[in-house]
Amino acid sequence: MSPKAPIDQDLIRELARLLDETGLTEIEIEQKGLRVRVGRQAPMMHASLPSPVHVAPHPVATPVPAALETQVDPMKHPGVVTSPMVGVAYMAPEPGARPFVDIGSVVKAGDTLLIIEAMKTMNQIPAPSAGTVIQILIEDGRPVEFGEPLMIIE
Amino acid sequence: MFDKILIANRGEIALRVLRACKELGIATVAVHSTADADAMHVRLADESVCIGPPAAKDSYLNIYALVSACEITGADAVHPGYGFLSENARFAEILAEHKIHFIGPRADHIRLMGDKIEAKRTARQLGIPVVPGSDGGVASDAEARAIAASIGFPVLVKAAAGGGGRGMKVAHSEAELGTALATARAEAKAAFGDDVVYLERVLGRPRHIEIQVLGDGKGHAIHLGERDCSLQRRHQKVWEEGPSPAINAGERDQIGETVAKAMRELKYLGVGTVEFLYEDGQFYFIEMNTRIQVEHPVTEMITGIDLILEQIRVADDAELAISQDDVKFLGHAIECRINAENPVSFRPSPGKILHYHPPGGLGVRVDSAVYQGYTIPPYYDSLVGKLIVHGKTRGECLMRLRRALDEIVVDGIETTLPLFRALVREPDIADGNYHIHWLERFLAEGGMEG
Repeated sequence: MSPKAPIDQDLIRELARLLDETGLTEIEIEQKGLRVRVGRQAPMMHASLPSPVHVAPHPVATPVPAALETQVDPMKHPGVVTSPMVGVAYMAPEPGARPFVDIGSVVKAGDTLLIIEAMKTMNQIPAPSAGTVIQILIEDGRPVEFGEPLMIIE
Repeated sequence: MFDKILIANRGEIALRVLRACKELGIATVAVHSTADADAMHVRLADESVCIGPPAAKDSYLNIYALVSACEITGADAVHPGYGFLSENARFAEILAEHKIHFIGPRADHIRLMGDKIEAKRTARQLGIPVVPGSDGGVASDAEARAIAASIGFPVLVKAAAGGGGRGMKVAHSEAELGTALATARAEAKAAFGDDVVYLERVLGRPRHIEIQVLGDGKGHAIHLGERDCSLQRRHQKVWEEGPSPAINAGERDQIGETVAKAMRELKYLGVGTVEFLYEDGQFYFIEMNTRIQVEHPVTEMITGIDLILEQIRVADDAELAISQDDVKFLGHAIECRINAENPVSFRPSPGKILHYHPPGGLGVRVDSAVYQGYTIPPYYDSLVGKLIVHGKTRGECLMRLRRALDEIVVDGIETTLPLFRALVREPDIADGNYHIHWLERFLAEGGMEG
């Protein structure tokens, strides 16, 4: 189908440049009845050639941020709580029970946030400081590795 | 065959193991410390798990984290590489308790050869010639004096829990013996938690010649020839080659068969290396390493046998598919261990590799996990990689090594490449005329200066 108006190549080039500059994955604009979307493919997880800037694949599931409006790297937040061990994370003391914390929970330093099970032992993970849980980055029953961001407490 | 192998190591050996797994169609799990998140084998593995902070005791030596990583990834086997937990019998046992295969020997053989006194006793019982010395640990200084008098000075005081060149002190005369015993005991206690020591005669100018073995745990075992690892600095091997310039086919067959027969009697499982000092036509057993060794590529190049593949096969309960008659030795191979160290002072030089070009061509192999832009972390050993060269004759091999050493580029850090460029031009090395003290003498006499 031929477009009603000639393609505005300058606009597309400008959008592509903006994409690179800002690091966004997609820009869509609508002007004078014309909608243009410029997008970029996310990097492939299994590259055929290892590239020095590529991060190793994590099949231990990527974090699913809860209640997130902006794409902020959780590791950069001062209140991030990271996993001190390798194991499976459980959000409640036992299956079916209420989780230790929810979004909005107010905690004191030392309060149990979650359990990480490793080699059949349950390890209670304490809050490093007092505050409010503003993000929970993992789900119940998810394997976690050392250093993985679990929650953010402000 | 195993479905998924967790590689409990790092650096070039982790990449080496990964390569074998890929060729066998086995899924791979790379575990790493936070310092190794950018490692090449981590990128190439099917899965990766960060197991701890940089310190080895919290990551690569952290049995808890390693078993947990096996559980969350469903790995059914672990390859321990070399160093770290590769000769830790307890690790092998804990894995067995969790129904995970340990790719290595049985725990009791690891334990047996880990105790250097028991290892020597076992070797002697199996008909392997040993270095003359005390028959077991020395309980008192008086006993030590008596034994030393009978074997003759100088004597070496060695820690039973040591090995790999660690925990050894020389006493040149009876006057020095008391101090040597006390120091060796104190150091052994601190380093290995066990101060039992034994005595051995010091040989004058021996060569270090080791025999590679492979067993299936069912009574079948073969030898894969020798490697001459005499060029050492502070008991660390620097240059290894096979065949040894010092022995002939007859001697190889004889010592090889003696060792293989011993492994058959033990029902040894996996790869192992039986290490000897060789002097005046005599072999003297010093120790056995129950793991894959750094210098295994030398054997692979002259036999064409992939030792890691074979290790994995026999660990999976397979019978040895290679008979001694199948093993042929073709040509000559030399390996140079390139470290991130100043080539004169040997001061470590970790840091970013700005330019990297590995040499290529027929008969040139580079076993290294570095790449351009990679930063060598300061927390682990300083091995940049191994350059292994093969030729139809030792002469061709040396020429090829000289060419490869001139071609390789590792820029941005200091490396020991200049040392190898000097060695390959040394007449003694070209003649194969060296022994275990040669390299330190060469360095002490200013071989790298001027």
